[in-house]
Amino acid sequence: MQDAPALDRSIRPRRGPLAGIRVADFCWMGVGSVATRLLADFGAEVIKIEDRIRIDTPRRLPIYKGEPARNFGEERLDADPDRGGLFNNYCRNKLGVTINMRTKHGRELAERLIARSSVVSENFAPGVMERWGLTYERLRELSPSVIYARMSGYGHSGPHAEFRSYGPVVQAVSGLSAISGLPGREPSGWGLSYMDNQAAYYNSTAILMAIYRRNRTGEGTEIDVSAVEAGINLLGPTMLDVTVNGRSTKRPDFPTGNRLEWPHAAPHGVYPALGEDRWIAIAVFDDDQWTGLVGALGKPGWTDDPRFASQEERYAHQDELDTHLGEWTAGRDPVETTELLQSHGVPAGTVQNAQDLNERDPQVAHREVFFEMDHPVIGEARFEGTPIHFDHLGQDNWRSGPLLGEDNEYVFKQIVGVSDEEYDELQAEGVL
Amino acid sequence: MAGPDGLLFEGLTVVELATDPGGEIVGKILAELGADVVKVEPPEGSPTRAVGPYAHGRADADHSLNFWFYDHNKRSVVLDLTTAEGKADLHRLLAGADVCITTFRPPEARALGLEAADLRKASPRLIVVSITPFGLDGPWADWQSSDLVGLALGSPLNSCGYDDHTIPPIRPGGDQGYQSAASFGQMGLMLALLHRDETGEGQLVDIAMHDCLAVGAELANPYWFYPGVLVHRQTCRHAQPTPTQPAIFQCGDDRYVYFVMFVADQKQWPVLLDWMQSKDLAVDLDDPAYLDAAHRQANFDHIQEVVEVFFLLQTADEAYLEGQARNLPIGVVNHPDDLLDDAHLQARGFFVEVEHDDVPPALYPGVPFRFSAFGSAPLTRAPKLGEHTAEVLEAARSGASERSR
Repeated sequence: MQDAPALDRSIRPRRGPLAGIRVADFCWMGVGSVATRLLADFGAEVIKIEDRIRIDTPRRLPIYKGEPARNFGEERLDADPDRGGLFNNYCRNKLGVTINMRTKHGRELAERLIARSSVVSENFAPGVMERWGLTYERLRELSPSVIYARMSGYGHSGPHAEFRSYGPVVQAVSGLSAISGLPGREPSGWGLSYMDNQAAYYNSTAILMAIYRRNRTGEGTEIDVSAVEAGINLLGPTMLDVTVNGRSTKRPDFPTGNRLEWPHAAPHGVYPALGEDRWIAIAVFDDDQWTGLVGALGKPGWTDDPRFASQEERYAHQDELDTHLGEWTAGRDPVETTELLQSHGVPAGTVQNAQDLNERDPQVAHREVFFEMDHPVIGEARFEGTPIHFDHLGQDNWRSGPLLGEDNEYVFKQIVGVSDEEYDELQAEGVL
Repeated sequence: MAGPDGLLFEGLTVVELATDPGGEIVGKILAELGADVVKVEPPEGSPTRAVGPYAHGRADADHSLNFWFYDHNKRSVVLDLTTAEGKADLHRLLAGADVCITTFRPPEARALGLEAADLRKASPRLIVVSITPFGLDGPWADWQSSDLVGLALGSPLNSCGYDDHTIPPIRPGGDQGYQSAASFGQMGLMLALLHRDETGEGQLVDIAMHDCLAVGAELANPYWFYPGVLVHRQTCRHAQPTPTQPAIFQCGDDRYVYFVMFVADQKQWPVLLDWMQSKDLAVDLDDPAYLDAAHRQANFDHIQEVVEVFFLLQTADEAYLEGQARNLPIGVVNHPDDLLDDAHLQARGFFVEVEHDDVPPALYPGVPFRFSAFGSAPLTRAPKLGEHTAEVLEAARSGASERSR
């Protein structure tokens, strides 16, 4: 019997618009890891700096191949850090090193790495980097045109700068939770850390902006992105209804569930479909789409009701409209209904779950939204691609997520210039 | 941070053909950071001007708060793109532009003769950012969508709603389908700009809202990729493979706080207990039996009841500020109204006043990117329909004759 060929983990030069940019990446958790993932996907040499004592949470979340699912929050303390699926998804294309920043030699090693990097990123609570002496002033001494990307829940100034947060806290504090739900009851908010994604995107963007600027002026910058401030920018025109019109959102008819206050779309909702907890979203904005819907339904008599004769009439009679439409959708396969309605020019879509996206969605398959890579511990796995198509650029996938400390030898010897003897000492001292 | 100097996108010229927030947000961010963003609108105005709410109830094209929110700091030019003259003017604008943002779906673009690939030909250096519901190719490319439909097909909606599954999934507010597409549009544009700086080459950036949302449900895909399970929606907390305890608590002032009790966590428990004891509201939870995580897990329902009462006997702000002072990750569920009184946002000068012609100055959310080395433009009101048509076309026509000389 022959052994399977060894997985190629060798480090090769990167391709893409960020090739040649080295990032000393102190980011962790979801929001930080997603922010620097984009850089790694497009050619930057992102060196993820980890701590063996305080293992990055996505390594520990119980999302494992071939094991029954546990809710996150139910992780095992003795879990193998190299098996975490979420970490693999977040940290593909990055190099991984370990440094014990509690030690003097660890902090010195980090400074030597920073001196050979042009971007430093972090999303610790404010004060942690300072405790290690890693202020912007110090970083500029080490790497004169450095970009210091600081990501936090509240930003690096102000009385709440040190408040603790993660996605759902940011969503609550920024107002995103309160504007989501049915009127007259508790908010339904978000069923995910949406702001871990969005704050990460804003942080990736900010780093790219700083690089764009540095290419012109030669100057670096410190970046302060507050997730709460990004979240408030995502509230939409509701915010201006408060500030311009003085109209409070604390009123019995707000939020509006799946209905829209503006524009006056109707029907506009999520309707039951055939199957256990299956649903279809339908949104009709004008007379053409209504005519399409009536045609798709086979022109049943109720559609002639004068209460449904115009968009404003339909908007005023949504309860009746929703009852009729829900009776029609309830016994039908949502995928077939979607195709039928779309063929009549009606915006409609199944509420898809992850299985639908991965196994049935022809558009996701055509656009190659997901991709596969092998991993020495996990094996072959799927990844969420960065969903940007270019005519002259592409995502550069060179390796799945790093094992804990996988690239210590390469990074510290080849990049930092640590000698073999010193490397052995650092290992013996527990610095790596 | 140190005093900023100069604007990031000074000198960058952008032509925006966006008719929904997906493209408009990209233009807005560029404009806030100093780009000259020319929004090309049809004679009746961008469809986003016909969406309320309206300033002081004035339901016309120049008072849509939807438009004000997504289009401030831009210039407005009216062009009828169904006519040869309108197209010629557009091409003159594109010839001198760095970036074009378009949201025409493929069938609309074909009908107008303005497909992204055609726009791209206007100049070799032009970066065209196309943001559409499903992208420029694939079996669904011609389908119609909306924020709600996008969130449904893309899957985040499947994770949002209430514990009670007789209630359908509920759309999170604020145009988040478009917001997600815009974020990738912005990142794609920045990568294309960096590539152009290096090579001189323009780019077509093709963003599908559907693709962005398909990777926008956080844990749902990894739970499917690895253990192969689906997550199920829960009220205002993470969708999970199996149900978990509620995480929002009503307070005495009818506001809510978000707080997840990890009862298995040995560090969090004593902090929470001490907080409850300080208000004489620990009831029987100070029984040493509760120091054992297994006992807490077995009695989670009772703990939940006691904690519910604990929060009901204080205001949401008290709970938020004291919980955070005790280093607990707790969040107050703010309404947009509440943000204006937030001491932290005030100290950071986040909301900024914007002047208007015929309504009093009003606060807008500030730019969420802060750099020590450069600044953002002062926020200025959204343009009136066609406010800059004459000046922009005049400049474009003279620019074109300059170039042809």
